[in-house]
Amino acid sequence: MANQETDAALAALVAAARRSAVGRRLQGDIETRLLQSIVDATVRLFDAEAASIALFEQNPDRLEFRVAAGEQGAGAVGLTVPPTQGIVGFVYSTGQALSLSDVANDPRFNRDAAEQTGYVPRSIAAAPLLDEHGTVGALQVLDKRGSPTFSLKDMELLGVFAGQATVAIAAARVQRDTDRLLRSVLGQIGPDLEDGQIQELVAAATRDLDVDDDAPFWRLVDQVARLRSLTDRETELLTDILDVVAAHAMRGRRGRSIR
Amino acid sequence: MTEPLPAWSEPFADPKRELRRSLRLRGVTRDWAWGGATGKGVRVGIIDSGLENDHPQLHGRVVENVTVELGDDGPTVVPDGQVDMFGHGTACGAIILGLAPEVELISIRVLGADLRGKGTAFAAGLEWAIDQGLEVCNLSLSSKSESLYPIFHDLADRAYFNGTALISAANNVPAPSYPSLFSSVLSVAAHGEPDPWRLYYNPSPPVEFGAWGVDVPIAWKDGGSTVATGNSFAAPHVAGLVALILSKHPGLSPFEVKAILASVADNPGRRRPRGRSRRAGSRA
Repeated sequence: MANQETDAALAALVAAARRSAVGRRLQGDIETRLLQSIVDATVRLFDAEAASIALFEQNPDRLEFRVAAGEQGAGAVGLTVPPTQGIVGFVYSTGQALSLSDVANDPRFNRDAAEQTGYVPRSIAAAPLLDEHGTVGALQVLDKRGSPTFSLKDMELLGVFAGQATVAIAAARVQRDTDRLLRSVLGQIGPDLEDGQIQELVAAATRDLDVDDDAPFWRLVDQVARLRSLTDRETELLTDILDVVAAHAMRGRRGRSIR
Repeated sequence: MTEPLPAWSEPFADPKRELRRSLRLRGVTRDWAWGGATGKGVRVGIIDSGLENDHPQLHGRVVENVTVELGDDGPTVVPDGQVDMFGHGTACGAIILGLAPEVELISIRVLGADLRGKGTAFAAGLEWAIDQGLEVCNLSLSSKSESLYPIFHDLADRAYFNGTALISAANNVPAPSYPSLFSSVLSVAAHGEPDPWRLYYNPSPPVEFGAWGVDVPIAWKDGGSTVATGNSFAAPHVAGLVALILSKHPGLSPFEVKAILASVADNPGRRRPRGRSRRAGSRA
């Protein structure tokens, strides 16, 4: 009996994991799109040369610039910096917002920035992305066009944008990260489960996901994701075709079951 | 300043309107509080990214460098190199020396390679500073970890009763941060008047004191300098003033120091009773 229940629970977990993975594939990278919209807004509002968001990633520990905007921002995307270095590292490490002007006079900063992004800012402001557990990254703005420095008001605004980015990251990560989703659900419904047990269950449920991107099922999901751009007529046509395919499949299954 | 300031700094944007209430203790003037003082005999801990001892703006005043190592048996405080990982600790130290040139600075580096334990390292560094009996400790960093809340609360109380004045920068980001929100510390936010001696007392929580923190010329890494904005740079201005007071009046408690700062703050005096405010008659 206990085995049956366990098997049923595991089957439900596998189904949930599969559904979450399908949802992620259909939606595309929602986190990146949300963060991109935030840096786009930041650059416009500050009338700045660039804005970017770096997120903390592990193994190895690093801050990875995920999105950037502005005329001078493009060079930052994909860049990684050690979390113990630079303005962004400082803001990440301390959780304190900071702005510096006259940074071009800092030879070390100057050299590092130029080597990495090809752009040396005169001023920079950065705010931490703080969730309930601590800092997850930092939002930075380079060179306000109208002013050589950032005011406290600017810092406040930057803090507001950083808050938005943090919420976006938290929401998107729960949707995106099947492991995290399952872990959090299991933790809530089974408070007696130990971390190791939760880990095992999650591993069992997600074992077959993402192993083969070319598997027919995932190719189908990817095709469906592309269908969003169809016109109404094309959608109707597709629905008709799917009806035929489904009827064919049902017939095939009945035939198999008779045998 | 015409622009509105963030919530933490707001009271200091328009002191004439926001900070009319002021405490004036008879005889407690700036001259009484720190006239002739240099900070001599006062040890100031800088819990931060380290201190670059040979930075020209630190004038050879750094007497000790320690850091926190996070081992399997818990954190331990060990000797450290004369280095600053970011320049931030050196900036704070130089601001303090600008007001109190003869203090002794002690670097307690809690920002290191192991970021996962940074809150724990911060708490361990703070505990060490209190155990050493340092008179003043500058905390231009904060923790947002709810799990460390009780630990920081306990440490802030211990500092208060042991006579270590903790000067804590309010977080620029409007979110709870510790220990700056505790009443036992001197919490500081930035004002924009370019005067290191300009001090405001705010009787309304959460931030008690306002000091210069906008476009402050600061010392920075590798012997350099830059211009910066943030509450991080307001806190050391208050730390410098506290060091001066304690150098002239050794043994005062953090409570007494706060009262002196409130008394000598640049808050405008009470309005003369006039018009509608007459009945409020400030005779109390």
